[in-house]
Amino acid sequence: MLEKRLVLVSGKGGVGKSAVSAGLALLAQRRGLRVLAMEMGAPGGLSAHFGTGPLEFEPVELRPGLHAMQMVRSDALLEYLSIQMGMRGLNRFGPLARAFDALATTAPGIREIITIGKAIWEVREDRWDIVIADAPPTGQIGSYVRAPVTISELVPAGRIRVQAEVMREILHDPSLTEVIMVSLPEELPVTETEETLTWLAKEDLVPPPKVIANRVLDELTDPDTPPGPVGDAATLHRSLWADQQEWLERLSPVQNLPYLHGLFTPGEVAARVAEEFEGTA
Amino acid sequence: MTRTILITGAGGVGKTTVAAAMGVKVARSGLRTLVVTVDPARRLATALGVEELGNEPQPHADEPDLWAAMLDAKASWRAVAMRHADPEVAARLADNEFFRAASEHFPASQAYAAADQAATFVQAMAWDLVIVDTPPSGGGIDFFAAPAQMADLVGGRLLRWLTGGPIPGRRALYKFAARPVLRIADSVLGSDLLERVAEFLLDLRTTYDGVAQRGREIERVLSSASIFVVTTSDPAPIREAIKFYRDLPGLASSPTSVIFNRILPDEWAEAVAPPGTSPALEANLARWSAETLRQRDSREEFSSRYGAHIATIPWSPHPPTDLDGLAGLVEEASRLPWAEVGIS
Repeated sequence: MLEKRLVLVSGKGGVGKSAVSAGLALLAQRRGLRVLAMEMGAPGGLSAHFGTGPLEFEPVELRPGLHAMQMVRSDALLEYLSIQMGMRGLNRFGPLARAFDALATTAPGIREIITIGKAIWEVREDRWDIVIADAPPTGQIGSYVRAPVTISELVPAGRIRVQAEVMREILHDPSLTEVIMVSLPEELPVTETEETLTWLAKEDLVPPPKVIANRVLDELTDPDTPPGPVGDAATLHRSLWADQQEWLERLSPVQNLPYLHGLFTPGEVAARVAEEFEGTA
Repeated sequence: MTRTILITGAGGVGKTTVAAAMGVKVARSGLRTLVVTVDPARRLATALGVEELGNEPQPHADEPDLWAAMLDAKASWRAVAMRHADPEVAARLADNEFFRAASEHFPASQAYAAADQAATFVQAMAWDLVIVDTPPSGGGIDFFAAPAQMADLVGGRLLRWLTGGPIPGRRALYKFAARPVLRIADSVLGSDLLERVAEFLLDLRTTYDGVAQRGREIERVLSSASIFVVTTSDPAPIREAIKFYRDLPGLASSPTSVIFNRILPDEWAEAVAPPGTSPALEANLARWSAETLRQRDSREEFSSRYGAHIATIPWSPHPPTDLDGLAGLVEEASRLPWAEVGIS
């Protein structure tokens, strides 16, 4: 799973996207890759799983070879305007930045292209072997991977359009880009995953995603149900397990991650996820 | 008078189940009850009888005082803005590419439409109780913040950002288009994009009075409602629940209760497998007992930190699929805030 240059990790909110992103980044780092882990959405999830405080736009090295950053749209826009458009000395609170913010709220694709464009820009840099993005949830991932196409429809010519075309090619290239959908073996996450997969297949914007199922229960092999808590816990477990089997069949995941019973810090969860990937990869 | 209950919380924690189960119990006590939901799981849609229904409330075939309606999850504030536009502006807005984009992309747009529909049901005064299962978009807080955000958008905040100063008249736009900001932007975007956006925002602004007034009505309905937050004991939904306790007071009344769903029996925490139990069953009890302890700790922490009233609903091996199942769930629950719902 670590052979591409850009990995976008998506999934319904609350399914463990950040834990999977952090686990993959830890595994890549352990294998000696130069890794950039990027939080694309609201701050907090990814940094918690690295056991660190809030991340910033400027990547920080969390351990040798592993950098992490928080996507900040206004910073990404300024970086884009100054590096790619050669406009120096812009102020993030200045009139141009605010005008773009207004535009990003109103015109389709702008806010998304700034975010996904930053990830793609980092892929094209030689600083990293792999960029792992804790990407927007299933409800929004479509408008992000479609942003280059949306921009091409909106802007008839110009530099931004040329760049949008390059982005579209990188996202579409199976040797460069991988999309991972994290899901739970439960009705709503499975339905949402299926809807997103169908839409992505129809639009043909990214290579077919791989599905990872999180919080998967082991089968309880002992069929006994003695009275008291032992039997009650067994009944609950078997019923949840049986329900999960039905949804797992629909998901056909490439990897199952175990249900972790009891108390674990986000850092411990990410380390455990990395071990699970290590064991099977 | 219609009482209103808003059920909020992260996606996937069982908000719809809680809303439906409380609805069944109240309807069976003889109060006319409407349960408003968004995108329910299939078994709940079936139980509530909303599978085939649109947005109009319908009474349940087997439970005449129980009504259900689905919110249109794809609706946006677009329709509201159109209601308040004069015919000439409405015609221009109708073909405007930015209007469609803004109504799909503005984060508060769908939340606003949901709040608008829910408020309409409450204002109809046709039910004793309206229970709204709020959409989880934007962490659910959007539902409460949306009316003010929409008024802000329509009122010209973006237009002021775009022009960097006062709002120009329509005729002043050509001068505005000559400003350095726009020339730079056009060199990047290769078109007159910002000017087209400014024109659209000027049109949108003419709907301000109507949109803002409707926004205030919605806010009045939301602020007179009781708010229950549903969560499981998992960290991600608890973080969402905390947001409601931390951020809601500025927008609406504070939540009055937090309902922990999928709770394991307390006695599992200290349970020990009797001698002779197979290793597999013993290990199974041990892991669920660890889970029980973790659940208890997370409830205690929530209660001590936020002073919240905590109710619990047990984790049933068989999720309810009909009205009796739903009613059974609340019978096994503990400390649900019935007084606020209007029954004892």
